[in-house]
Amino acid sequence: MSAERAGIATTGAVADGIAVRRDWRRLVAPVIVGLAVAAILVAGGLTTAEFLSFDNFLIVIRAASITGIVALGMTFVTISGNFFSLSVEQTAALCSIAFAEGLAHGWGLGGSLVLAIAVALAIGAVQGGVVAAGLNPIVTTLGAGAALYGLAAVVTHNEVVNFTASPAVEWIGRARPVGVPTQSWAFVIFTIVTTFVLTRTRLGRETYVVGANRAAARASGIDVSRTTIVAFTLASLAAGIAGIFTAAQITQAPLTQFSGLNIDVIAAVLVGGTALQGGEGSGLRSALGAVFIALLANFMLLRDFSFGVRTMVTGLIVIVATSAFHLLRMRGTQP
Amino acid sequence: MTLALFGRAALALCVYAVFAASDPSYRSVDNFYPILEGFALVGLVALGLSVTMIAGELDLSVGSVAAVAGIVAVKLSSWGLLPCIAATVAGAAAFGALQGFVIARLRINSLVFTIGMLIALRGLAFVISDEASVLMNLEDLGISDAITRRLWIFSPFSITTIGVFLVVGCFLAVTRYGREIYAVGGGRSEARAAGVSMVRPIVVAFAVSAALGALAGALASLKSGAAQPGGYESVLLAGVTAALVGGISLYGGRGDVIGVVVGVLTLRFLISGISSRGAPFYVESLATGGLLLAVLIVELILARRLLLAYVRRSTRVPGTLSG
Repeated sequence: MSAERAGIATTGAVADGIAVRRDWRRLVAPVIVGLAVAAILVAGGLTTAEFLSFDNFLIVIRAASITGIVALGMTFVTISGNFFSLSVEQTAALCSIAFAEGLAHGWGLGGSLVLAIAVALAIGAVQGGVVAAGLNPIVTTLGAGAALYGLAAVVTHNEVVNFTASPAVEWIGRARPVGVPTQSWAFVIFTIVTTFVLTRTRLGRETYVVGANRAAARASGIDVSRTTIVAFTLASLAAGIAGIFTAAQITQAPLTQFSGLNIDVIAAVLVGGTALQGGEGSGLRSALGAVFIALLANFMLLRDFSFGVRTMVTGLIVIVATSAFHLLRMRGTQP
Repeated sequence: MTLALFGRAALALCVYAVFAASDPSYRSVDNFYPILEGFALVGLVALGLSVTMIAGELDLSVGSVAAVAGIVAVKLSSWGLLPCIAATVAGAAAFGALQGFVIARLRINSLVFTIGMLIALRGLAFVISDEASVLMNLEDLGISDAITRRLWIFSPFSITTIGVFLVVGCFLAVTRYGREIYAVGGGRSEARAAGVSMVRPIVVAFAVSAALGALAGALASLKSGAAQPGGYESVLLAGVTAALVGGISLYGGRGDVIGVVVGVLTLRFLISGISSRGAPFYVESLATGGLLLAVLIVELILARRLLLAYVRRSTRVPGTLSG
């Protein structure tokens, strides 16, 4: 059908038509996710009394915050065409352990923060470097995740690291400026920062180009390796920040605290509609995806759905959402 | 090709020699029994994953498939050993074929689709087990004995695995369906131009992967007489590592079953060597992850070398003796 049209129209008009259609399509994913969030709110409000209460809202937002912060970092990896990382869970655990060990050994808040962030940056940069050298990101991060988990267990002798929190650490973990948890403030601020970096800076635009067309990016002088390394470093940094917040909140760093985070974060990014082929997506979409997953989990929890059913529903939603977004995109780009 | 295989076999022997030299019990004939038992579980998963990798895809859902299959097999154990395994594996193969069909028809990235399945099937495992370990009825425990019965260094579990390797090896090497899997993995557009179906090889690859994952989960769970809904999470890492150590390329179209055997043996020699020294379980995770990364990096360096050598050869001006 499009081929016939291309035959009679001038090339420019076709290009304009595609551009307009694609712009329209860009709005579809966020609108669908927004509607899904609204649908859950309405369904939850009608069927479950405590769902729309302010206390429950805070629980949801806090749950969404940790997943959301890491999902924002992962968005860079996905947009740059490197699928996703399977090691953010282990990175968060190792960074929370570094933070806790620092505090337990009297490094003070500043020193411990620097240590944890440095660990996060190092882990991300190394993985990014390996992927930039041409290795498959999924398999690299799968191996790195296992190695990091083993490393974290060896460092801590597989024991929970405890520390006594100073008032400042306690503030990071548990304070509620204007009634909202610090984690959620960080989530909102990081969403704005991510959106700004992706849309308004050279780094962000280069990330999109690398994901959309690697050869074209290279031909136009973009340093593809550097973009990949930066993307993985940002994902790792986000995981490290999540680790620090969680350790400060529970004043200890158990090795298995983040079990399941990899899956939650990938689900948030995919349900948000960031394209796995790269080149498309935004911080806002991943943030919405994280809120959606957290709302859904909370709703099912309040309705006494078992862990198995909750997991199954999440998996099915990931499958349906990614297939639907994929089909939309195929229609948009293929004649 | 054969040189690379010799290199891999030498690596496996080196790993074995390092542990055997320092530990007399490790090199005893008795120790081959646990090594082969581990070979059976990881080997079946690695073999299934290899088939999808040769097709240029990756099936991330095998661990969850194995968990569901383990629970189903234990629940059906009153049917008797063979019917219960046949039903479980047939069900998994049908599921895998459907998964492959959807992936091929939608032309969706198999990583996204199978990670959704990984989550959903893990949930299913918890649902059908009522979130608890599923135990075999006492009167059916004869099935466990049948699977663990020891025949020199073998058991029915490891003998089945060796048989499956032979069958899948012949299937990939000589049958038309098997060659098609190599064709779509090696170059999709070339395969299409040559008239290869774009759907059938993917369907077959994912059916094989799910069936073998299920066979591994079913046999291992029946062997221990119990199945955990959270089990077999680590087989994906072990399977991918073994396949890559065995020379299966992630880019598709390359590798064979003998390589997978060598890869799985290398991993098992390493893991059983580490655990025989009394190292805690998490050191296994460190070792497997480290081995995976090391292999990836070595392969990458070798690939670059070969590419450079090729470029140098093909750009050499005829008649000059430089380079």
